[in-house]
Amino acid sequence: MVDSRRLDLLDPAEVARLGGIEIVAQGVVEGFLAGIHRSPFRGFSVEFTEHRAYQPGDELRYLDWKILARADRLFVKQFEEETNLRAMILLDASRSMAWRGDPARLTKRGYADRLVAALALILLRQRDATGLMTFDEAVRQVIPARVKAGQWTRLVRGLIDTPDGLGTAAETALRQLAGLLARRGLVVLVSDLLLDRGLALTALRYLRHRGHQVIVLHVMDPAELELAGPPEVRFRDPESAASVVVRPRELAGAYAATVRREIAGWRAACRRHGVAYHHIRTDMPFGMALRLLA
Amino acid sequence: MTFLHPLALLGLAAAAIPALLHLLERRTPPEAEFPPLRYLRDAERQSARRLRLRHLLLLILRTALVAVIVLAAARPILPTGLGGGSGRGSTAVHAPTALAVVLDNSLSASAVVDGRPVLDRLKALARASLAQAAPGDRLWLVLADGVARAGSREALLASVDGATATPQRLDLVPAVGGAARLVAAEPLPAREVHVLSDLQRTALGAGSVDVPGVAELVLAPPARVPANRGVAAARAGDGGLTIAVSGTPGASAAPLVARVQPPGSAPARAREVGRTLAAPGQSVTLPLPPLAPGWWIGEVLLDADELRGDDRRLFVVRVAAPASVTAEADVGPFLSAALAVLRVARRVVVGGEIAIGERLGAARSIVLPPGDPALLGQVNRALAARGVRWHFGPPGPPGTLASADLAMVRGVQVNRRYRLEGTEGDSGVVASVNGEPWLVRDGGVVLLGSRLDTTWTALPGAPGFVPFVDALANRIARGEAPVAEAVGAPRLQFFTRGADTVGATVFGPDPRESDLTPATPDEVRRAFPGARLLDEAGLAAERFAATRRADVSGLLLGFALLLAAIELAVASMSR
Repeated sequence: MVDSRRLDLLDPAEVARLGGIEIVAQGVVEGFLAGIHRSPFRGFSVEFTEHRAYQPGDELRYLDWKILARADRLFVKQFEEETNLRAMILLDASRSMAWRGDPARLTKRGYADRLVAALALILLRQRDATGLMTFDEAVRQVIPARVKAGQWTRLVRGLIDTPDGLGTAAETALRQLAGLLARRGLVVLVSDLLLDRGLALTALRYLRHRGHQVIVLHVMDPAELELAGPPEVRFRDPESAASVVVRPRELAGAYAATVRREIAGWRAACRRHGVAYHHIRTDMPFGMALRLLA
Repeated sequence: MTFLHPLALLGLAAAAIPALLHLLERRTPPEAEFPPLRYLRDAERQSARRLRLRHLLLLILRTALVAVIVLAAARPILPTGLGGGSGRGSTAVHAPTALAVVLDNSLSASAVVDGRPVLDRLKALARASLAQAAPGDRLWLVLADGVARAGSREALLASVDGATATPQRLDLVPAVGGAARLVAAEPLPAREVHVLSDLQRTALGAGSVDVPGVAELVLAPPARVPANRGVAAARAGDGGLTIAVSGTPGASAAPLVARVQPPGSAPARAREVGRTLAAPGQSVTLPLPPLAPGWWIGEVLLDADELRGDDRRLFVVRVAAPASVTAEADVGPFLSAALAVLRVARRVVVGGEIAIGERLGAARSIVLPPGDPALLGQVNRALAARGVRWHFGPPGPPGTLASADLAMVRGVQVNRRYRLEGTEGDSGVVASVNGEPWLVRDGGVVLLGSRLDTTWTALPGAPGFVPFVDALANRIARGEAPVAEAVGAPRLQFFTRGADTVGATVFGPDPRESDLTPATPDEVRRAFPGARLLDEAGLAAERFAATRRADVSGLLLGFALLLAAIELAVASMSR
C-alpha cells in the first residue's frame, strides 16, 4: 500500500501544487529516503576530522555512540571535505524544455527543476559536494560544488533564476564543466536531448575519459511519445521556428517508431561510452525517477 | 445508356468537392508548438511515399464515390437481355411500348383443367403483362367481344380482374389483327401483342395476321384438354325437337334430356319430354307430345363435364290453334282431300281465316294459278290492288322443288308452272324451282307457281303432301311466328305486338366453343406467321424483351457503399 504522505510517489503535477521547489523537493526526499531506509549515494571514501554537537536534523548514522555511552552527550562526527563525492548537475534550460503536451502536467523544465532540487538535497544531506550548471545555447548559471550550509538554497535559487532560453548547446556546457571539475566526480545531465547527438556524445565521452561518472536523464513529455492532435496541424519548433504541416492520425505510427528508435539510439550510444542513460517521463512520480539513479 | 433523371448529372460537378476540400483544408491548419520536430520530420521523410499514395487513393476514392452516387441518382438505364421482371440489384424497365393484350375469355376458357379454370391462368398472364407496363406505355385490352379497350394500366388490370367467361366466340385472327394494327399505328419504340388464349382450333378460323414491326407473343396451346360435349342447337319443328350435339370429335355419347315448361307456368313445373344419348357431331330428334296452344319454353341438358357453359340450351315451341280454312271449288280434288284429312286430324277447321282458291280472298289467301290462262291478268290486278309485291308471270320450265323450310317438298318434280315475279327481290320466297320462286309469301297472301294437281306437279302424290298443306295453312299463310337464335347468355327474349307474342329470340353459347381441341403449332403458325409461340415461362421472359433495359442505380449504390467502405478502411489506416 502506498503511503499517502509519500510525495515521491504521487503525481508530479499534484505534488508541484503543494508549494515552491524547496518544499516539494524536501517532501519528495523525505518520502524517498523513508522508503529506501538508507542513502542510495555514497562517496568514494570518508575521513573523520572533528566532532560537533548534535543538532536536530543531523543524521543519526553520524552520531558518535561511544561519546554518548561515556559522557551521555550527543555528538556527531564530521568528515574531511576532500574525501566527499563532488557532483555537478547540468540542467538543460532551453526553450524546448518549457513545453508540456497537457496543461495538467508539468513542463519538462518544471519537472526537471524539482527533480534536480531533490537530487541535490539527497546529495548534500550525505555531505556530497553538489553544484549546478544551467545552459541553453550558452551556459547561464554556474554554482560550484560545495557541501557547506546554504548550498542547497543557492542551488534552488539558481534553478529559479535561470530563465527559459532559446537553443540548446550541451556540448559547450559539458566542455566548460570539464574544466571546472578538478577531481573525478559525478556529472548528471538533465535534458530533453533535442540536440545534436554526435556533439553531445563527444562531450560526454570526454567527461568519461576524465574519469567522471556520467548519468544522462532524458526527460520527455508523454505527448512527445505519441503523436496526436487535430486532423491536420502545423507543428512549430519553439527553438528554431521551423514548422511542418502534418496529419497526426496518419503519421502517428511512423512518429512513434521514430521516437522509439531515437531513445534506443541514445541508450545504446550511452552504454557504448560507459554513460548511464535513463528515460524519464514527466508524468512519472519523482520517487520513481530518483529510484532510477539509486 | 440513358438516364431517367438526366438533370441529376449536373451533380457530377460535385465530384470536384473532395479535391477542393483537400486543397482548402491544407491552407489554414491550426498551429501548435511541438519541440521534437526533428522526430516528426524523420517520420514524415520515411512515410512520404506511402502517404502520397494514400492521399492519392483517398482522393480517387472520394471523387469516385461522389460521381457514383450522382450517377445512381440520375437512374441510368442499360439494355439488358435478362429475363424476368427484375434482376438482382437492378430494376428492369423497358422502352415506351404499345402493348395490346388479347385475353380470350370466350366460353371455352371456362373449362376446368387440372382443377382450375383455364381463364384463371389466362387472366394471371394478362395481369403479369399489364403489371410490367411502364407509365410511358400505351395499353389496350381485347376481350372475346373483340373490342379494344384503351386505358391506364390500373384500369385495364381492373378489367382483367373483372373479366368472366362469355358465351361468345373470339375469332382470334381478326382480333389479333386488329390489335396488331392498333399498336403498329403508335409512334413508340416498341410494339407488342400478347395473345392469351386456349387456342381452340375453332378460334383460328381462316386468314392470317402478320403486321410488320409488331412482336406477337402467343401463348402455346395446352398439351392436354378434356373431352367435351355441348348442346349445339335445339329447335322445335314439325318433326319434333331436333337436338344437335357438338364438342370434341370422337368423344363418346352422353345422355341428354329435354324438358318443357307450360306457357305461363313456373320453371319448377317443367316436365321431361324426352331422353336420349348423343355424341359430338350427332343430331337427334325427339318427338314432342301434343302440346296445348301457346309459347312453350324448353331446355336440353347434358350431363355435367369440365365445360359447364355449353351443357344447357334453351328452346321455344309455339303451338298455334288450328287454322280455319275455306277452300273454293276450283282448288281441285287433291287439295280438297288433304284438307279433309287435316280437318279430321283437327289440324284445320272450316272457317274464314284463310281462303284457298284461284282468286284473292278478303282475308288471308292462298292463291293458285287459274286453270284458264286468260284469268291471270285479273288475278294479277287484284294482287296489285291488294299491294302484294308478287304476281304471276309467264310459264316457266319444269324442275324440282327446293326449300330450306319445307323439307317434305324437296326434290318433288314440277312439270308445269308460272314464274312468280316480284318487285323487291326474293324476299318472301319459301320454295323454288330451278332457282326461281315457286312458293312466295307477302303479308297475308301466299302464291303458288303450280296448281296442286298431278298434271302440274308430283307433289299431290308425294307422302309429304298432307304435311305440306298443313304447313301451308297453319304456318305459311298465317305468318309463322319467327323464332331466332343468337349467341349470348342462355335466355329467351319474346317480341310482342299488343297483347300477342309474335316472336322470340333464343340466346345460347356459340356451338363452336364446345370443341376444345387445341390448334396444332402448325395451324397457329399459319394463322400468325410472325408470332412466337411461347409457354408461360417463355412468355414471362420475352415480355418487353426487345427493349428491356435495366435500371442499374441499385448496383451503383451498392458500388458506392463498397467505395465508402474502402475509403473508411483506407482513411482509418494509421500505418
